[in-house]
Amino acid sequence: MATELSLDELRKMVSRAGLKLAEEELQKLLPGVNRSRNQAAELRQLMADPLEPAGTFSANARKQKY
Amino acid sequence: MATDELSYLTLTEAGAGLRRKEFSPVELAETCLRRIEALDDKLHSFITVTADLALQQARKAEQEIGAGNYRGPLQGIPIALKDLYATKGIRTTCHSAVLEDWIPDHDATAAAKLMEAGAVLLGKLGMHEFAFGGPSIDAPFPAVRNPWNTAHVPGGSSSGSGAALAAGLCYGSLGSDTGGSIRTPSSHCGVVGIKPTYGRASRYGVVPLSWSLDHTGPMARNVEDCALLLEAIAGYDSKDPASADVAVPDFRSEMKQGIKGLRIGVPREHWFNEQKGTDPETETLFNAALKTLVSLGATIVEIDGRPFATARKANQTILIAEAYAYHERRLQEAPEKFGTSVRRRMLEGAFLSAADYITALRARSALNEQIRENFSKVELFATPTAPRPPEAFATMDPNEQNLRPSFTNPFNLTGLPAISVPCGFTPGNLPVGLQIVAQPFHEASLFRVAHAYEQATEWHRHRPPL
Repeated sequence: MATELSLDELRKMVSRAGLKLAEEELQKLLPGVNRSRNQAAELRQLMADPLEPAGTFSANARKQKY
Repeated sequence: MATDELSYLTLTEAGAGLRRKEFSPVELAETCLRRIEALDDKLHSFITVTADLALQQARKAEQEIGAGNYRGPLQGIPIALKDLYATKGIRTTCHSAVLEDWIPDHDATAAAKLMEAGAVLLGKLGMHEFAFGGPSIDAPFPAVRNPWNTAHVPGGSSSGSGAALAAGLCYGSLGSDTGGSIRTPSSHCGVVGIKPTYGRASRYGVVPLSWSLDHTGPMARNVEDCALLLEAIAGYDSKDPASADVAVPDFRSEMKQGIKGLRIGVPREHWFNEQKGTDPETETLFNAALKTLVSLGATIVEIDGRPFATARKANQTILIAEAYAYHERRLQEAPEKFGTSVRRRMLEGAFLSAADYITALRARSALNEQIRENFSKVELFATPTAPRPPEAFATMDPNEQNLRPSFTNPFNLTGLPAISVPCGFTPGNLPVGLQIVAQPFHEASLFRVAHAYEQATEWHRHRPPL
């Protein structure tokens, strides 16, 4: 499990990320943020082998337009 | 021919009728436009109806066919596109206030290919906002409703594509799929949808949700129509860095070879037999579908579901990290323009570390290996498409959705091709889909199994009570 973020920690991270969110929004965001961080932490525990990440980099890739 | 009969022709039947001049492209387009006018107020499947363009394209197709210039089976066929395919000169909203007035100056490659094949564009279809989250209840356009019961969700994110096809408003559609967004609405609306192999069909001009998980693909009312549409949009595209230079087979001739001797792996153990796994009604219909496949000559092999179950965590981590990266500036500058559900889910990506993302990509490598190892024992996998039938809007809990397994997203993580085909109805008359998964670039095998199953059943002939 990842260390659970507190509301105060989330508030600081939001500010550092350049986001402007209302207090009510922060409170509603917190459970989802902790769930996502825990999910990533669970994956980390599974990664015993020195595997390289899957990637899509291609030296021939051209600029895309969306 | 009666209007309803004309509306519910398959794309292939409509194309054959046009060629035989039993009806004209203008008649087909007018039939669809009248039906959209009559029914779409309660379904909300279209965001933009391009009636003038459709009639102009239909008249052109009519002239060409009349002059003997036959372009192929899509000429004069009315289709519609999920509203994240860029269409030159036509508003493309992603069902969001963020892009409410965006008029692209280019066409998505897949859309351009359909137009070059002579298809007639009826309009742009509703979806989950930016192909993420749940039904968009606070977006500038209403949430799409399920034609089988408008109190229920049509599934997403290609909601409008599923609903419009089931309601007989168009003959074919394109959706996109990052975690199940073609297959889930296909299952919930009783139509067929295929997510091809990653790289098979171009993503160029399709507004991204997650670059490494996004797939484009067709949806239609039967398997043959899906095969025809995939043949039209597949192939190498230098504008898409993930595009694969792999030959496109004649899917329609290969699909009629039968399935005798094929081994189909079912990853039930440790995945969809767990608590909060598959809804009992869905599992009953799925088991009946397996029996049908056995009666057609396939063998069912139970395989370990653990790597499939773990895939969701990696898929979700990659998805929210990439989605946040793509939308970061907009979320910093005007977060209020996003709907609540999609904004909260995207913002979760802001608080993952670089190491979290890389770990998920490493897990992707490992899970890809583990899942593909099964192809030494079986040629295909089968699962229910969705863990449960379409829920009612009134009782839907987006948080509870995250606790259920996803039977679709392991195949976005691995890039494996997967199709959903109708496999029955609940006692409440809501459709349920069967998912078949194949090895990379083996879409022909998917069409073989789905077509054989479809020919042995009647589910695809059912019509919603509109």
